[in-house]
Amino acid sequence: MNMSGQRAEGRGQTAEGGGQPPSLGYGALFDGMARVAQSPVILGCVYLATLVTAVPFSMLMRDSIASHLGNSLAAEEAARGFNYRWFIEYQAQAGELGRTLRTTIIGFAAVLDNLSALADKEARPASMLWLGAAYLLLWLFLAGGILDRYARKRPTRSWEFFSACGVYFVRFLRLAPVIGATYYVLFAYVHPFLFNEIYGSLTRDVTAERTAFFYRLGLYAIFGALLIAANMTFDYAKVRAVVEDRRSMIGAIAASLRFIRRNFSAVARLYATNGVIFLAVLLVYALVAPGVGGTSLRVWLGFAVAQIYLLARLWVRLVFFASETSLFQERLAHAGYVASAEVPLPEPPIVEQVVG
Amino acid sequence: MIRVGLALLAVLLTLEPVCGQERTPRNANYSIDVKLDAQRRTLTGRETLTWTNIGGGPAGELQFHLYYNAWRNRDSTWMREAKLSEWWPPRDDLQAGDFASIDISSVKITGGALPAADLTTRMTFIAPDDGNTDDRTVMSIPLSAPIAPGETITLDIAWVSNIPRPFARTGVVGNYFFLGQWFPKIGVVDASGNWNCHQFHVLTEFFADYGVYDVRMTVPLAWPLAATGVERERRDNSDATTTYRYYQEDVHDFAWTTSPDFLERTARFEQPGLPPVEMRLMLQPEHAAQAERHFEGTRTTLRYYGEWFGAYPYGHITIIDPAWHSETGGMEYPTLFTVGTRWLNPLADIYVEDTAVHEAGHQWWYGMVGSNEFEDAWMDEGINQYANVRADAEALAHGRQVIRFFGGFVPWVFGDVRWDRVIDGDGIASYRSGLTTDIQSTAAYKWWPKDAGPLAYSKPALWLHTLERALGWPMMQRMLQTFFEKWRFKHPRPGDFFLVANEVSGRDLGPFFDQVYRGSAVFDYGVENVSSISKGANSFMSDIVVRRYGDGIFPVEVLITFADGSTRREAWDGGGRWTRFSIAHRSRAVSAQVDPDQILLLDINITNNSFTTEPRRSQAAAKWASKWMVWLQDQLLTWAFFV
Repeated sequence: MNMSGQRAEGRGQTAEGGGQPPSLGYGALFDGMARVAQSPVILGCVYLATLVTAVPFSMLMRDSIASHLGNSLAAEEAARGFNYRWFIEYQAQAGELGRTLRTTIIGFAAVLDNLSALADKEARPASMLWLGAAYLLLWLFLAGGILDRYARKRPTRSWEFFSACGVYFVRFLRLAPVIGATYYVLFAYVHPFLFNEIYGSLTRDVTAERTAFFYRLGLYAIFGALLIAANMTFDYAKVRAVVEDRRSMIGAIAASLRFIRRNFSAVARLYATNGVIFLAVLLVYALVAPGVGGTSLRVWLGFAVAQIYLLARLWVRLVFFASETSLFQERLAHAGYVASAEVPLPEPPIVEQVVG
Repeated sequence: MIRVGLALLAVLLTLEPVCGQERTPRNANYSIDVKLDAQRRTLTGRETLTWTNIGGGPAGELQFHLYYNAWRNRDSTWMREAKLSEWWPPRDDLQAGDFASIDISSVKITGGALPAADLTTRMTFIAPDDGNTDDRTVMSIPLSAPIAPGETITLDIAWVSNIPRPFARTGVVGNYFFLGQWFPKIGVVDASGNWNCHQFHVLTEFFADYGVYDVRMTVPLAWPLAATGVERERRDNSDATTTYRYYQEDVHDFAWTTSPDFLERTARFEQPGLPPVEMRLMLQPEHAAQAERHFEGTRTTLRYYGEWFGAYPYGHITIIDPAWHSETGGMEYPTLFTVGTRWLNPLADIYVEDTAVHEAGHQWWYGMVGSNEFEDAWMDEGINQYANVRADAEALAHGRQVIRFFGGFVPWVFGDVRWDRVIDGDGIASYRSGLTTDIQSTAAYKWWPKDAGPLAYSKPALWLHTLERALGWPMMQRMLQTFFEKWRFKHPRPGDFFLVANEVSGRDLGPFFDQVYRGSAVFDYGVENVSSISKGANSFMSDIVVRRYGDGIFPVEVLITFADGSTRREAWDGGGRWTRFSIAHRSRAVSAQVDPDQILLLDINITNNSFTTEPRRSQAAAKWASKWMVWLQDQLLTWAFFV
């Protein structure tokens, strides 16, 4: 495979796919789903990564709860159902992390709580933010390998996957400050501007909550659109970085913007369709999410249902990646166009003897 | 037949007194004309006050509350305290026109014991509580001669007010006006002849004598209006205004509201044994479907408070559903109160019913029993909180925990988490948060502003609830009923309540009140250990060690459960720091519980109240940690959006 030739081909194509006939984007979506389905190991891998990231803190939480309950009979009711009095007592006496054990962790409220916290910029404990940073770093590391696999549209060996992870991790680390800065501006400046100043000004003399709610929905839509725009840009920057083996991340962002501009309709439609799938997953989980739970069996059954939901969420995220890769390849490249860096393997020791 | 006769007698006894029959001394009577300029957001008023000194000594001066001056600037005592409070946190969105003021343009004596005189130039502002020279919420007018006890004077007072953007449940948002604490209001001369006229503080509001209010309010043409009392007259004026006249006897305050948006609904409360009450609801259009929920809460109070303490005597009550973010919800005034609901409000969220129960309940504990809220805030808020939550438990069992997301607009009902009287009603978490910050017997206006809520509401509610569990509801009901009957339309002090409590219960409850009211005792009992040794076939000696970790003392029981399922109760006076129960039994003890019936609701740590030799902490911890882990995983996935 002549990677340099492919890169030249990629650079030479300046139309950015704009000349392509408009498509509904569903082809890329289904192709993306197929690519995700063809590599279940990746789904398993990211699920494992999520699980492994969450387990240590959960162990801490478990120990903290067990320690608080001690030999108390309160544990009986807490194990059997919901011991409200113990629950609020634990919250009041626990540390920063322990105080996050609120009723909002129960069932679908957990999803609402996290989305609402994002939309309203609610604080989370510092330790959780550090954990989140580590998790994002892990995703950043895996993203290169994932995109490389989906772009190749064929099985890759694990060393290939991880070598791609390594190669693109370094590049994505250079992209990270731009991503971080963008989201920082959005949350530190745009969010307060929209939800404090604009919202405050719009609703200052409003006497109907319904009106205020619709104003807020509008502002969520604006802020959400900005987040999506940033997210889309960085997604395609990563896709282009991997597919076209780009080293300049600034160049990848510029290329991403060019691609989105020239194919805006298809890109937006694809993103929206993925978004609808995401909402569908949430809706299904809202219907089946476990409540407080009773006996051990029900608890673990509920836990299994929740894990299936989390798998579905991860699948949606991967479909985003895969379908965006597919769309880009459909418009501007092809499956065989992947130009990930070839990893030179060391020679085996036998070579010395043979040569010698 | 006897039952019907008794019911009839009860109704007759609680009917409105016939004309001229006074329930109260009626020593502070107001006749007020006020005009609202909705555009300029001003009130122009004139009041004729007929005041009789019913205090214990001559009054050489007059003192008035000018509440609106609390928001005249950022230096008033109210605003300074707001900086320390979480109740009314300081707002950074205030604009120049958002502040308030009340300026007296003239004060004249026009009749009574003193000769006619213009007192306008004698007005001064005083700050009896904190000496804050920037505070103008109390006006003093020295008199040329004192007014002796029993003497009456008539004053004519004119003033102009700027209506604020709502502070402390009064003000204007859009075209919704709620006017509370809006007129110059005379203070109270106490039994020792001293004025009791406190500055306006961030968490204390009322204390006034009873009287008759005859108020004429002029508002833009045809704007619906509701006020304390009943409408006596309505006329449209040639200047595109409407004047309403409202009248009410035997109350100690007057509030009103107007907005062109109000919908009006009415209903009638009827309950055998109680006098009927006409209920009038002024509703926001977006809450039209929730009218019955407001009435239901009000009915709950009229019924249960009426049966428990004494009937509501006024025959009419007005419920106000305030405008969104007007900050005027959840407030009581005589014969009128505000509630506050949400546009999206599932039935399981009983906040609206609970608030209606609470604020309607203030007609008893604040309205009729006129305690001094500046000094003894727990007497109206705490007693009412206790009674309100008890009524909730009777009538609102369908309540569930509801948490709101996305700016507080989107409710989520936790079907598994039932409304709990102690947690959601009495507010045990709030009580625990302010355990030792202040002593309840300290005058309420001196409480540390941040923790005034627990002291006024949750702590007294919990110690009253504890008394209920210790003495039984019939005794508690009799105690409160006696207190109500004895102090209706009077100004009781805490000692009066404690006296009634001792008399009715036939016990000396002083040591309990010393701990919860005159001190800030912390109650915490726990079981430290349960152990058993075999003494032969079918014979075990079990030791149970029970400790008192806090300084609060309360007699408790200890429930010991044995391996064969049998139980045994032991009593402990709770006085020592610890005690041990050594019990010989045919099987070993497997668990012990101190205060197993949870009588002592003031115990700050219920988890340590029990000890079992077969703990299930691992199962419970695994269950809740697993649920928490799902939440954490979901949080991580939400953040993964950014990569």
